[in-house]
Amino acid sequence: MTVLEGNSFAGAWPGLDPATDTDGAANMSYMDSIFGELFELTTGGKETGDLATGYSFSNGGKTISITLRQGVKFSDGTPFNAAAVVYNWQRDLTANCSCKPVFLQKTPPVIKATGPYSVSLTLTYVDAPFINALQGAVFNWIASPTAIKKMGEKAFALKPVGAGPFTVETDTPDNILVLKKNPHYWQQGLPYLSTLTFKPVASDEAALTALESGAGQAYEGMSTPQLVKAYKAKFQTTAEPSTSPYDIQLNTKIAPFSNLKARQAIYYATNTPLLDKSLFQDTYPVGQSFTAPAGLFYEQTVPGYLPYNLAKAKQLVNQLGGVSITLGTLNTPVALSVDEALANMWEAAGIKVKQTEYDLTGLIGAFETGKWQSMLQTAGAYDPGTGVGVGFRFSSTSPFTGVHDPKLDGMLAAAAATTNNATRKTDYDQAAAYIAQNSYGPFLFPIAGYNIAAKGVGGPGLTSPLPVTDVNPEILWQYVYNKNTSS
Amino acid sequence: MSASAIAEPGRRAGGAAETLRRLARSPALRVIGRRLLSAIPVLWGVTFLSYFILNALPGDAASALLGINATPAEVRAFSIKLGLNEPVWVRYGHWLGSALTGNLGTSAASPQSVASILGQRLPVTLELVVYALIIAFVVAVPLGVLCARWPSGVVDKLTAALSIASLSIAPYVLALVLVILFAVDLSVFPAIGFTPLTQSLAGNLRSTTLPSIVLALPLIGFYARFLRGDLVQQMQSEDYIVTARAKGVSEWRVLTRHALRNSFIGILTVIGLNLATLVGVTVIIESIFSLPGIGYELLNAISNRNIPVVEGIVLVFGVIVVLANLATDLLYGVLDPRIRRVRSRS
Amino acid sequence: MSVPAANVLILPAQEVRVAGAASRRLRWLRSVEIWVPAAFLLAMLFFCFIWPLVYTVPSPVHGSLIDNNLPLWSKGHILGTDTVGDDVMARILYGGQVSFEVAAAVQAIGLVIGGALGLVAAYVGGWLDAVLMRILDVFIAFPSLVLVLAIADGLGPTEMHVIWALSAFSIPAFARVARAAALQLRDRPFVVAARLSGTKTWRILLQHLAPNMLPQLLTFTLLGAGLTMILEGGLDFLGYGIPPPTASWGNMIAAGQSFISVSPRFVFVPSIFLFVTTLALNLLGDGLRARWDAR
Repeated sequence: MTVLEGNSFAGAWPGLDPATDTDGAANMSYMDSIFGELFELTTGGKETGDLATGYSFSNGGKTISITLRQGVKFSDGTPFNAAAVVYNWQRDLTANCSCKPVFLQKTPPVIKATGPYSVSLTLTYVDAPFINALQGAVFNWIASPTAIKKMGEKAFALKPVGAGPFTVETDTPDNILVLKKNPHYWQQGLPYLSTLTFKPVASDEAALTALESGAGQAYEGMSTPQLVKAYKAKFQTTAEPSTSPYDIQLNTKIAPFSNLKARQAIYYATNTPLLDKSLFQDTYPVGQSFTAPAGLFYEQTVPGYLPYNLAKAKQLVNQLGGVSITLGTLNTPVALSVDEALANMWEAAGIKVKQTEYDLTGLIGAFETGKWQSMLQTAGAYDPGTGVGVGFRFSSTSPFTGVHDPKLDGMLAAAAATTNNATRKTDYDQAAAYIAQNSYGPFLFPIAGYNIAAKGVGGPGLTSPLPVTDVNPEILWQYVYNKNTSS
Repeated sequence: MSASAIAEPGRRAGGAAETLRRLARSPALRVIGRRLLSAIPVLWGVTFLSYFILNALPGDAASALLGINATPAEVRAFSIKLGLNEPVWVRYGHWLGSALTGNLGTSAASPQSVASILGQRLPVTLELVVYALIIAFVVAVPLGVLCARWPSGVVDKLTAALSIASLSIAPYVLALVLVILFAVDLSVFPAIGFTPLTQSLAGNLRSTTLPSIVLALPLIGFYARFLRGDLVQQMQSEDYIVTARAKGVSEWRVLTRHALRNSFIGILTVIGLNLATLVGVTVIIESIFSLPGIGYELLNAISNRNIPVVEGIVLVFGVIVVLANLATDLLYGVLDPRIRRVRSRS
Repeated sequence: MSVPAANVLILPAQEVRVAGAASRRLRWLRSVEIWVPAAFLLAMLFFCFIWPLVYTVPSPVHGSLIDNNLPLWSKGHILGTDTVGDDVMARILYGGQVSFEVAAAVQAIGLVIGGALGLVAAYVGGWLDAVLMRILDVFIAFPSLVLVLAIADGLGPTEMHVIWALSAFSIPAFARVARAAALQLRDRPFVVAARLSGTKTWRILLQHLAPNMLPQLLTFTLLGAGLTMILEGGLDFLGYGIPPPTASWGNMIAAGQSFISVSPRFVFVPSIFLFVTTLALNLLGDGLRARWDAR
């Protein structure tokens, strides 16, 4: 079976060694297929053990212990055990890679094998989202230490060895990846597919024509709203349950958004339901916070969130003697059209808007210089405490924040520092209310892609929804089947 | 550093002084030799310029690989490991030095060597270009002959109109139209992707046909008009044509046997000039059709600040263009009417 | 991308001279070949530049989101509206301005800088010619994409930067044409006579050579203008062209292609304008060249 991956995202992979793949998070499908996962997200958004069987917090929450599945072998026949996990994790910690795990405090974690099949990791603080943060992260993928040592890092990255459902047959980075069923896979009778091929494709439109011409049987993360109908007419189209809403970041360090009134004007001038309706045919749930329906701790409304009110927006703009701003975003088609629509709405309120588009490097550069005024971004994650979570956009320690408020920092830190989910929920609710109260940045709606599968093809994540991590869909490839061929 | 490195091959060649002296006596070889020598600064300029331009762009491989969470100290340490802390001209010198020994280095983003990336990508682009040239040639030659047989006839006028139209259509629009027509509506060709020749010959041809047609269409009109012009001119003015006609050789035979043979040299010259253009246009075509050629790789490499890969590709582009220009210049002399007269007399 | 201008550079104009009565008919035909595209281009320029001034045309940006995705022939929006509610006809007109501006500026830069380089190189000859031509070779052998990207990335994508980036194509192309033209003229009797009579070099260049090269360079300008419009769209396809919300025909096509199978009109409307305009430029250039060659 051939799966298409969008060029701008998963369709590029530099190499598939967990410790050097800078695109690991985007390459989740490949990595999960080759290495399996310690923990995987299953139906209903539950973290469940795959190569691990369970975890527990101890030492006041600072130590996380993980028990591993016994009797598992890497596809090169060497044993999967605690020593292998420790070797991988320590290697990850010293990797020269953007994929390197990040911890809140600088003291490196202490990693120990506490038994042949149990591992512990001790931090100097409580990291409640640790297990949730494994999704799409380097710690989740355990490579065969023997293979790394024997092949050398470079060769290993081109033909990695793991304990996942598939093994690498051929790998030409950015071009084609052919995986074959792992005969030693620990789950009897799995995977269903004997061959799994990944190919990059230029765009959603190109993917549509490619699927129509039979060049592929599945496509991950279709995100062009105009094409949904066309895909639905011919293929199984599954909306990925979204976890990351679009938000408008306001740079509170410089004018005009250092002024609360200017921020309020943006809230009042933003008609989110209309945006959803005219651009996305009301597909997405309009929200007011950094959470989304498929993520943890979701609330649709937030007390104190300023609703659309054109008159008040105009009034504020008048009071301020006019507002003119720049609005930036990444140059993806969807983000650009949301940007344009936002600019149209804000202009109606008398705000002068200049749009700027960035590629990823340019965007990072803009944040480094701090000379931006507003940015259309996504914030949030399956667990708000992980990855591109709320802290990424709102905590002053993040390089990508627009807000520098010690009180908010404290609230977000507290929410990640307890393993009690009820307390975490209260903490995040408070943080959301605080953001609304200070008008730190409006939220729009979570945009998630669609997973596309040809008739007769299916599996968890592909045709039955699983929550996305940041913006990457989780697909459990070991269960994916293709009824059209014997393979 | 760089200048002495360039001078080196020349000095080494000096060892075979006798051979050189013998070669120097042949005027044609002298021209080739001079042109090849003058190609060296061009290739040097191309790699030098791109190295410095890429270096001037914001961001480098170290920060790209380490990402946003790395501390400045980590970035610095990694830069030193990658050798990025040295001044740019020293790094360029290193690159040039190893490039002269045939080592193009390793990609900054993936574990592949630049040579192996080029080895994978270049054949795809070359196949596209060659395929496009074949299509253009096969259609344009009969068309050009027909036009020349009856100048200002129906075929001639139609070809003239279509050739202008084919030069006016944007290749990306043409690609979109062809994909909708042939890949989606008729399902004759795949819309995207590349099937390697080693996998299936038919699949390979099917996967490269649409992109090659996009590349070939403007060439068809262009070559046909070129050929027609050249043929008509010969038929009107060349002595040997008049002689052949006087001997009672049929018009068709004069056209296809005598005139066409001479015109081929001209067509080859034109192809030489087009080669550079074609390789360039493939950047867009490859990205529309998701073909793993060097143009597509170049786009990726530039956005990753992957200097070794960019340099490798730029060098290949440069070599292709320089060789094409050399061939053109050599044949240009052949094409020049005065030189041609000299040749036909001898 | 490389230098498609090279295509035009050597497109030969071979017109057969036909004697007698037929020639009068042909001359009439030929003037049709010139006047039709010229009139069309003038009309196009009028609609893009003058029409929005004398007649109220909706704004090309900041349309109403409520009126988005209106079909063709809607009331008040003859070509409909796009996904964010902007009037497509207005975007075509204002986008046409941008496309024309870019094409004109790139050709003007090429004509002045490249033309001067080629002229001087050909006339002075010797080492200067060799060095200039090698430098131009570097630019021709150089994947301009690297340069374009550096400009777009380093300076930020704007119309001005797109113009400079595309000039990387036009300058060497013009230099080559100008050099070839000047080489032909250099040893003509009137130039030799001027040189022998002690006329200053700059005077020979400007008064004797340049005016005689002008027809050839001007036709090349027209042909190149069409190509520049196409190339500008190519940059938009790669994401380095005119940034939205500003419209150009090229970036309208590039934006529309992401859902062409659903709403092909967003690609075909600007494509038709781009094609017809490029066609007119090519026809006019070709027609003029044929006329001058015949002279």
